[in-house]
Amino acid sequence: MNKPDDKELMERCSKGDRQAFETLLVRYEKPVYNAAYRMLHNADDARDVTQTVFLKVYENLDQYDPAHRFFSWVYRIALNESINWLKKSSRQEALVHETADQGDGPDVMANDEQLGEGMEAALMRISEDYRAVIILKHVLGCSYIEISEVLDIPEKKVKSRLYTARQLLQERLTQQGLH
Amino acid sequence: MAVDSKIVELINADIDGEISPADKQELEAALAADPEAQAMHAELSGLSRALHELPDLDPPPHLKHAIMASVPGPQKEPAREGWLQSLFAAPALRYAGMFAAGALLTLSLVSSDQLSDRAFTDVTGLVGTISSEVPEGPDVQTARIDRPEVAGRVSLRSSGPLLIVDFDLVSSGPVDIEASYSDQTVWFNGFAQLESTGASVSAEAGRFTMQIDGKRRSAVFLHNAGDRDVAINLQFKSGDAVVYDTEFSYAQDASGR
Repeated sequence: MNKPDDKELMERCSKGDRQAFETLLVRYEKPVYNAAYRMLHNADDARDVTQTVFLKVYENLDQYDPAHRFFSWVYRIALNESINWLKKSSRQEALVHETADQGDGPDVMANDEQLGEGMEAALMRISEDYRAVIILKHVLGCSYIEISEVLDIPEKKVKSRLYTARQLLQERLTQQGLH
Repeated sequence: MAVDSKIVELINADIDGEISPADKQELEAALAADPEAQAMHAELSGLSRALHELPDLDPPPHLKHAIMASVPGPQKEPAREGWLQSLFAAPALRYAGMFAAGALLTLSLVSSDQLSDRAFTDVTGLVGTISSEVPEGPDVQTARIDRPEVAGRVSLRSSGPLLIVDFDLVSSGPVDIEASYSDQTVWFNGFAQLESTGASVSAEAGRFTMQIDGKRRSAVFLHNAGDRDVAINLQFKSGDAVVYDTEFSYAQDASGR
């Protein structure tokens, strides 16, 4: 039997079908959680944001525009909620200080594990807009056009933002002695 | 010499897997002729690979259940307003009403000689407490719970002579929460919950027990008459098994009073 697509599930959700909502939750819980984690770099916060995202989805079913794909709507909510969370908790400033102190200098050879940790730290040291585009491309695997839909910006801007984001990431990694 | 902007664009498109066959050919020719472009391609490929190698994390196992428990069920016929609801009809009094309802519920459920004349002294300043997010801060102790049987958070803070234990939890079935506090100058002073049913509380000297089932937001108020340091031990039980336990310590000095 074919799995119902997002559109069909959303239609059923809007008629009060909780099981359809649960199917969407199962489908998108992991990517939303991973996106939130990469935006926040904190498992507890990512869990809370994921919960908020799906509650918002449920509460705003009537505001969903079927002309757009469901995932672009849910990812947009996830990124916005993560950014709001960062602003609310002012965690980012603390993290910038924390990660800025973690650089071991350029003489340190980076192994895979260090590079992974370094990458996570570097991600937290670029602005939310750049982090979001990196997450959409490299964590969620979105295409240019899908990113453009999620962020509501032209495809050309997606490309330039990705390019700048990568340059900034490289700079941060170099500062941390990992590139 | 800087790499040509058109080639930079093609390198990025290639890294992103969004390059056309014709552009790919052009890029390959450019890379063969330009070592700087080649170096840039290698560098960006490495960065992209490192990003893709970031671990794919699994959400906490209880998260799905917690979300589903938070989602409202099918619409029910609105209940007719009873005398309590009409008494607290004004929006400003709604949370007061919730507290009062909680307190009334508590009175009917709690069997304790400690309550008598000392309970529910003055909680007016706490109205709304349960409706608000528990603030994070140095004066608030928070335990985050993530077990298959129960998930959420419990916090302890003080307000004047009261210690407030906030519960924001979801359980997959009935879970008993047993709290014990050794100091005899601490007594159970009240209970409030957002839902009008769901959690039940009983109290006796040095302890209270609460049972939850599903998603519950509630608070227990303890009166710290001696304003002493207090340790509160919390055990969460599913059936006879302890699924989580923690201890909060309230230190008078740390409270800043």
